Amino acid sequence: MKKFEVLDISGDAGIKAYGKSIEEAFVNAAIGMYSLITDLNDIKGKNTIEVSIESHSLEGLLVSWLNELIFQFDTYGFIGKKIVIQGIEDKKVVANISGEEFDPERHERKLLIKAATYHRLRVEKVRDVWEIDVIFDI
Amino acid sequence: MTLEKLRRIDETKIEIPRDYKPGMRVAGIIYVDEVLEKELETQSIDQVANVATLPGIVKTSMAMPDIHTGYGFAIGGVAAFDLKEGIVSPGGVGYDINCGVRLLRSNLMREALLPRLKDLVGILYNEIPSGVGSKGKIRLMPDSEKQLLLKGARWAVEQGYGDASDLERIESGGCIDGADPDLISKKAYERGRAQQGTLGSGNHFLEIQYVDEIYDEKVANALGLFKDQITVMIHTGSRGFGHQVCTDFLEVMERAVSKYNIELPDKELACAPYNSSEAQDYLSAMRAAANYAWANRQCIMHWTREAFLKFLGTTPGELGMSLIYDVAHNVAKIEDHIVNGKKKKLVVHRKGATRAFPPGHPELPDVYKNIGQPVLIPGDMGRASFVLIGTEKAMQETFGSTCHGAGRVMSRHQAIKRAKGRAIWREMEDKGIIVRSAGRGTLAEEMSEAYKDISDVVDVVHNAGISKKIVKLRPIGVIKG
Repeated sequence: MKKFEVLDISGDAGIKAYGKSIEEAFVNAAIGMYSLITDLNDIKGKNTIEVSIESHSLEGLLVSWLNELIFQFDTYGFIGKKIVIQGIEDKKVVANISGEEFDPERHERKLLIKAATYHRLRVEKVRDVWEIDVIFDI
Repeated sequence: MTLEKLRRIDETKIEIPRDYKPGMRVAGIIYVDEVLEKELETQSIDQVANVATLPGIVKTSMAMPDIHTGYGFAIGGVAAFDLKEGIVSPGGVGYDINCGVRLLRSNLMREALLPRLKDLVGILYNEIPSGVGSKGKIRLMPDSEKQLLLKGARWAVEQGYGDASDLERIESGGCIDGADPDLISKKAYERGRAQQGTLGSGNHFLEIQYVDEIYDEKVANALGLFKDQITVMIHTGSRGFGHQVCTDFLEVMERAVSKYNIELPDKELACAPYNSSEAQDYLSAMRAAANYAWANRQCIMHWTREAFLKFLGTTPGELGMSLIYDVAHNVAKIEDHIVNGKKKKLVVHRKGATRAFPPGHPELPDVYKNIGQPVLIPGDMGRASFVLIGTEKAMQETFGSTCHGAGRVMSRHQAIKRAKGRAIWREMEDKGIIVRSAGRGTLAEEMSEAYKDISDVVDVVHNAGISKKIVKLRPIGVIKG
């Protein structure tokens, strides 16, 4: 199964992510987003951070989850490569992300993502597969 | 909801009538001629109609000729709301709060600079932090960040970046009163700490340009512009700080929508009544972000001026590099406008639209009282940019607003595909434009073909009379993130 693909949209960029579980779909959406920022092949799992996010809806949780990762990158330069989500329960996600600090000298600079948006947002189970569509403001 | 319902009013605008979709409180108007009408996206037309359904909207929901699909509000949108019945919406401002443009003049002539241009572009590229993951030269301590949010460009001047005389040549004097640093989240503070004095990425840029064509000699003269003169244009905003403020408040507004029972055709239009604490808090935080952006452009201007001075080994007096004006094109402001013959305070949202006040407007500084407000319209990196001036007709028709740029026609992916196998930097160099960019893909995404022709856009607002063409500027040196 494909993990994610890039959605083409005028002016901005999006990710369509898949997963056998909602956790896997959240992970793939995040990895897809990271891949818009840089080439993940060059990122090493040097350190691990934990993030914990809550929201009032599943859609809200996805947007807040990705916005937290954008915040971690834009503020501390942290970019992840491997993500483990313990479980998504009661509209809460707790995850461990391993990655490293972005270095413009060594890492490719692709898109600067401002935020994950609600535009055309979709978090849905289609037969056995969770699908996520999310558009980013670039 | 059918496109056949659109009606052409005259050669520069079309109307979206109230029966275009249910719930529209007013009609919509899009400023486009027949050429640009062909490029209209259905989704962006819908967005103009959606904004017309919002409570307290005054007169019409408008969009400028550089309209394209945004989140909730279309980019290029202008909407004003009544202070009693109306709303405030972060989506009507956008993520990059006070994204804007500033223009510097100089005494330099194009021919004198051309032989040394490549070196100068290299130096500016090194001096001005830009691109994904770049860090600024300024580290803000919590107290100084608060001061910056309260004072805007004045904070930068107090730190030694530029002169006090720059301030009167900035929209709102480079600072909107009513910013409240206590309403800013810890995250926004953190995110803004190292990003002051950085250009960012995407369509943000610093350009060395020259005056190519003059349409109004008298006003150009008054602005200090003449043919073949070197100018510098800076396009950036409030960086991660503003993005975080918007992200934080979209959550607040989403809750407000159910709290106040506001019916919305699109979640991204999340808003709150003007008089609610949610709306007032957002406006206070938005003003802080707007002030962050004005300080940002002030710092970048200062380093640019220093780099020119050092590189050319000249004096400030000889270089004559000074600020012409600085405009915001993503902001919401409380302004006086005439509605049904009566003066009224309104909250005007401009998302990808520029204020264009006419001569004599009380908010203009003395230097521009007689000629009107300079309007700065950046185009794509290969074609042109324009200086226009505000008009009385803009006050009557568009709440004193005009367009803000070219507007994309191609997605980033399409542009990259189109650029495959081509060296965009070399194509630009062949046209006499030296480009430097931090990101490898940026130049492909930002190539001219990816945008509408800025000249077409500017012609519409000029012909509509909502601003007037003064000069055309052409780029010769471009720094992209």
